[in-house]
Amino acid sequence: MADNLPSEFDVVVIGTGLPESIIAAACSRSGQRVLHVDSRSYYGGNWASFSFSGLLSWLKEHQENSDIVNECPPWQEKILENEEAIALSRKDKTIQHVEVFCYARYEKYLFTINYVHDFLFTCLQKKPAVRIYMALVATSLLDMLKIDLVTKLLYSRGLLIDLLIKSNVSRYAEFKNITRILAFREGRVEQVPCSRADVFNSKQLTMVEKRMLMKFLTFCMEYEEHPDEYKAYEEITFYEYLKTQKLTPNLQYFVLHSIAMTSETASSTIDGLRATKNFLHCLGRYGNTPFLFPLYGQGELPQCFCRMCAVFGGIYCLRHLVQCLVVDKESGKCKAVIDQFGQRIISKHFLVEDSYFSENTCSHVQYRQISRAVLITDRSVLKTDSDQQISILTVPAEEPGAFAVRVIELCSSTMTCMKGTYLVHLTCTSSKTAREDLEPVVQKLFTPYTEKEIENEEVEKPRLLWALYFNMRDSSDVSRNSYNDLPSNVYVCSGPDCALGNDNAVKQAEALFQQICPNEDFCPPPPNPEDIILDGDSLQPEASESSAIPEANSETPRESANLRNPEEPSE
Amino acid sequence: MSMEDYDFLFKIVLIGNAGVGKTCLVRRFTQGLFPPGQGATIGVDFMIKTVEINGEKVKLQIWDTAGQERFRSITQSYYRSANALILTYDITCEESFRCLPEWLREIEQYASNKVITVLVGNKIDLAERREVSQQRAEEFSEAQDMYYLETSAKESDNVEKLFLDLACRLISEARQNTLVNNVSSPLPGEGKSISYLTCCNFN
Repeated sequence: MADNLPSEFDVVVIGTGLPESIIAAACSRSGQRVLHVDSRSYYGGNWASFSFSGLLSWLKEHQENSDIVNECPPWQEKILENEEAIALSRKDKTIQHVEVFCYARYEKYLFTINYVHDFLFTCLQKKPAVRIYMALVATSLLDMLKIDLVTKLLYSRGLLIDLLIKSNVSRYAEFKNITRILAFREGRVEQVPCSRADVFNSKQLTMVEKRMLMKFLTFCMEYEEHPDEYKAYEEITFYEYLKTQKLTPNLQYFVLHSIAMTSETASSTIDGLRATKNFLHCLGRYGNTPFLFPLYGQGELPQCFCRMCAVFGGIYCLRHLVQCLVVDKESGKCKAVIDQFGQRIISKHFLVEDSYFSENTCSHVQYRQISRAVLITDRSVLKTDSDQQISILTVPAEEPGAFAVRVIELCSSTMTCMKGTYLVHLTCTSSKTAREDLEPVVQKLFTPYTEKEIENEEVEKPRLLWALYFNMRDSSDVSRNSYNDLPSNVYVCSGPDCALGNDNAVKQAEALFQQICPNEDFCPPPPNPEDIILDGDSLQPEASESSAIPEANSETPRESANLRNPEEPSE
Repeated sequence: MSMEDYDFLFKIVLIGNAGVGKTCLVRRFTQGLFPPGQGATIGVDFMIKTVEINGEKVKLQIWDTAGQERFRSITQSYYRSANALILTYDITCEESFRCLPEWLREIEQYASNKVITVLVGNKIDLAERREVSQQRAEEFSEAQDMYYLETSAKESDNVEKLFLDLACRLISEARQNTLVNNVSSPLPGEGKSISYLTCCNFN
């Protein structure tokens, strides 16, 4: 490395997941000197999105279980007598049970995937140059893929959207509306009418059902004002409560699984009403469903906050390993870190993402797991006139003890997959390995691609071309006290949780930021760049630029002032 | 989002090793300042300059790296939706030239394939310390099919030319694209920023 890191900061942030990145941005915005590092070569940690080649190297790392031994100068000798060290983990242990299946070999788009597969995994030995060339072409083609490790959606009135707008970080990202909400019932996928227009236009609902549903949804919008209507049902589940309402089984199913997005047993009446209200409240802000998806995948979002942190002076360093935290014995506080080069970096606050702690620190922590599957398919689970639909589908659990599976289907306009294919993400809380949890749902919705010609043109289900399963550690619900011996100025950030929205990350970030910078505003809007530039005649050098000499440039074409902000949220 | 005071808006992104003078180029062009002053970049996301070319107002939004290039940690989202890239090296620093292929790899990976890339050798005011000959840079840029220019942010040599030529090329490119896509269907992947999405309500 040509450049050395400065050796003193106010806040050192280890890990570039969403909560860490938000905190880094907030601290930097408040004038703290921030160092933000990640031992990986990419941003986002378990919140990242990968191109196909990026995913393959990620797979390699997690499948081979290779212990990457980095040659680091020993840190032990750098610890002084009045100090102790908390060693950090060198290996990410949050991903387990990784399995990959490739179904299509010679189909037009997918044969390419297989070439890449062969190419990178078995290192195509002595194959004709043409094939290697094709593999390379395929790699660049497949690099259009953006595979999220976790797929979440943004509630259009959720905390993350509010934060993106407030902090102006929204200017770094673009979004697409989720176009439809789907339900899976009696073996069929159907669209759930949820907006007023949807309900009225629905062909699957009867006139009576339309009235019933509208009446119920209108009540849910303001349920808090009518406590007498639900007070008597507070003790029972939302599922039981829906049965007492004037709703057909059809409608009960839609409300329970697709609107409140809960299950028969998981929510009380109040929880269900709150979830329904939240859904309706988010509806229509940006489109016909309550959700947005970031173009190029979820992995863009942490990076957007990192950019903001950097704009305010935060220093960024990927591929940078922190070997240990240095604790002062007397005060019990952490005072520095020692990095892979043996450099000691002093700071006041230390923010560490859960996966960086060693087994010693986490020996008493109980983690949950998230089961994930990523599929590439050749058509949508529900075909319509437009092939550019972005859908969310909840498949209820079949047996007790299992969890509902959330399915998000992305089309090529999200910039996450190739035209003519769909990228499908399945997520649920784990009860077993990811494949055991999710394969039954995959089998219900898709049929594996086979090389045999299919006689009838119209195949019922979309064909499965490629599938990946893995389990991810869910550290979201871990109490800080369960980590062993952490100094008070070491803060813990969790990895992604299983929920659909990003509220947990934002809440966590704001709470930790308040501990680091009490009484400071959380991510206030930065000055508008358009306000900084004035036109050529009334050039005003900023106060800090005492040495600057404005130049009279006669050949400049006419400049014009532009002080307006075109990106003012039009709420 | 009322009537905007321009005919074209382009996002131009600067990349290249730390210390080659990216910020100086931007400041020189947008404010006529040199040196830009160290503290001045804090909190400045991008700079704006509106120029007039053949009677048309062209608004250039010029983005700087925010220092993330220092440890090779530029966010991918920085490259997204850029119309043009200015890949900068320092003619007095061999190392900054040798890193160009690495930068090109990033461009290929993260930037749109329609992006226009310009290679800029900065600091020609320090000609006596030159380490990268013009010929080498020309050969390199030709091989990579890039437009090439040498500048001095300090002496203001070729800085105007760099941005104005680029603006001209972006205009003609934009015209061609509208001709090709004369059907006004939105391109796949054309997302919206939050604030541009329209609002309507459930009731």
